[in-house]
Amino acid sequence: MTSSAEPSWEDLMRAANRGDQRCYAQLLQAITPVVRGIVRARGGALGPEGCEDVVQDVLLTIHLKRQSWREDAPFRPWLYAVTRHKVVDAFRARGRRIDLSVDDFAEVLAAPADPDPFEAQDMDRVINELDPRAAQIVRAIGIDGDSAADTGARLGMTEGAVRVALHRALKSIAQLRERMIE
Amino acid sequence: MKTDDLIAALAADATPRPGPGTRLNQCLSLSLLVSLVAVIALWRLRPDLADALASPVVLKTLLPAVLAVAALWLARGLSRPDAQARAQMALIAVLIGGVVIAFTVNLVNAGFDGLVAALNNQYLLVCFVSVPALAAVPLAASMWAMKSGAPANARLAGGAAGLLSGAAGAAVFSLHCPVDSLLFLLPAYGAAILVVVGVGAFLGPRVLRW
Repeated sequence: MTSSAEPSWEDLMRAANRGDQRCYAQLLQAITPVVRGIVRARGGALGPEGCEDVVQDVLLTIHLKRQSWREDAPFRPWLYAVTRHKVVDAFRARGRRIDLSVDDFAEVLAAPADPDPFEAQDMDRVINELDPRAAQIVRAIGIDGDSAADTGARLGMTEGAVRVALHRALKSIAQLRERMIE
Repeated sequence: MKTDDLIAALAADATPRPGPGTRLNQCLSLSLLVSLVAVIALWRLRPDLADALASPVVLKTLLPAVLAVAALWLARGLSRPDAQARAQMALIAVLIGGVVIAFTVNLVNAGFDGLVAALNNQYLLVCFVSVPALAAVPLAASMWAMKSGAPANARLAGGAAGLLSGAAGAAVFSLHCPVDSLLFLLPAYGAAILVVVGVGAFLGPRVLRW
């Protein structure tokens, strides 16, 4: 999947752990089709939007648990373990029991996003539940692609405060999603 | 929100954060300090502590301390989703096996009556109450630290946190406890540690779920 010219997922994740946003975005872009492939192979009945909700659940979990990857370990076994755990959990929360073995992961084909990527439904509902300022920050940085500095300037906050608020908002989103689905 | 938008939001939150292993080390050293202060202020150290620590009785403190370090290694391993932790399990099995063998040899020598006599001691109850009490802060601290991890098996991870805190609590309590008979120490400390392991295993799925 990675040619010798491209940095390995391990390199990208190590750089991300040092705070390199570009490497982190590149890694998340690279692993999303793999996660999507696994979710779609298992959850066709959820429909493309439902599958994309699960993909976003998995990405949030990868983000919040990324420090549990040991930097001297290969990245893929960690990724597969997190994905397996969260996909089973997400399907259970949606009332479907599935069996998923990490051994199947190698056979699953990566699924790129569709030409017009689906709007996942859960995320918008959950962002509306956040307090207005947190919601504003998540939308500005995520949807509008603003930097933390720009967002802070517009909201009268320091860049650091925006980062803290963004981190808290992402944590609340993960918690709210669990509660909302159950 | 599209997945690409979510990725942009996640990437903007790339601030480095300590992992569960680092947090475990930090929280544990702080909470052990709390337990040490508690045993000095509330329980009082045994008057002949210096003599005891210079004799083979030091094993009463050393053995639980070694078990706690092994359990810390186990807890760090089990905080990861792709953990195997076989080496840690093996080490702890060897430690516990050694203790059980030592206990059996002593039991054979002293007979069942010797065991009853050793356990018929007011410190049995003190031990059952004190070890979990001294383990409470370390247990809370290690659970909190492990929450930032992603344990594949939350019950097992909680049990490891319990073993870690229980063994640490026993090591701290041994600085107060004046009873040095092996026939008392192994069942009393062992059972008290098991109580904390049970609490950890009970809390694990509730606290460490992700």
